[in-house]
Amino acid sequence: MSSRRSHSRHSSASRITEEEINELVSKLQMMLPDAPIRRNSRVSARKVLQETCSYIRSLHQEVDDLSEKLSELLASTDTDSAEAAILRSLLMQ
Amino acid sequence: MEAESSTSNQQRKRKRSASESSEKPAQSTWRSDKEHRLYSSKLLEALRRVRSGSGSSSPRTDPPRSRAVREAADRALAISARGRTRWSRAILSSRSIKLKSNRIRVPCPARPKRTELERIQSAADQEKKKSVVLQSKAKVLGRLVPGCKKLSFPTLLEEASDYIKALEMQVKAMSALTEILSMFGGGTEGAPGMVQDAGAGTSTGTDSMPPPA
Repeated sequence: MSSRRSHSRHSSASRITEEEINELVSKLQMMLPDAPIRRNSRVSARKVLQETCSYIRSLHQEVDDLSEKLSELLASTDTDSAEAAILRSLLMQ
Repeated sequence: MEAESSTSNQQRKRKRSASESSEKPAQSTWRSDKEHRLYSSKLLEALRRVRSGSGSSSPRTDPPRSRAVREAADRALAISARGRTRWSRAILSSRSIKLKSNRIRVPCPARPKRTELERIQSAADQEKKKSVVLQSKAKVLGRLVPGCKKLSFPTLLEEASDYIKALEMQVKAMSALTEILSMFGGGTEGAPGMVQDAGAGTSTGTDSMPPPA
């Protein structure tokens, strides 16, 4: 194997070792919300990718909802006082 | 030519890994308090700009307003990444396009139909079949993470894991901000007294203090 990185986009997965894929997939699995600490039973890579996609989608959705809430709040609050409060709480952290 | 490009790739990778080694390890990235605070202050700045930008529009939730908030939050997030990742650079370079493509939900690409020959071949190499399935999933993932549609598999997974951590921090920061704002503002039914005092405090200092007896 000359290079680890694949140049072509399709059908070059064989160049990347399966070990690498499994390692990355397990690392990804650890970050998913209900990541079980099972090192023995290997969850299929396909499943991990699927859960990753749905997790990212749900995070996007959360951010969208929060953006909407924030936009509502921004419109209705007195910004100066709110900002002072926010800055204070940020510094106190 | 291939050797050249591979060495330049290697050089780039080495440079990137060198810069990354001086930074905190991947585990604490996006999770440290310092990053959280940094992002929160950037977010605040961006939100302030959003508010001052659309002064004349109605205070109700018009879609552009929440869209502007989302954009500002994403942009602040991308800036916090300090150019380490592809998705952050993609957000900064082409924001409006990315949002449009986020709206459109593209269904998973169908698996390629198998001919007779492929059926025989697939029995032989299971690995190839598995990689085809993985690639279709990877394609979907590549559409979700900005700027990662045509990456190699390991790079895509790396970008995705960093993106997830960044998104989690974004959610945390935005919900904290929402909480604070809803405590201090949240319409006029909440605690008008508090808002009044704070407002008076910024304009003139004498009103907040009780007059000396």
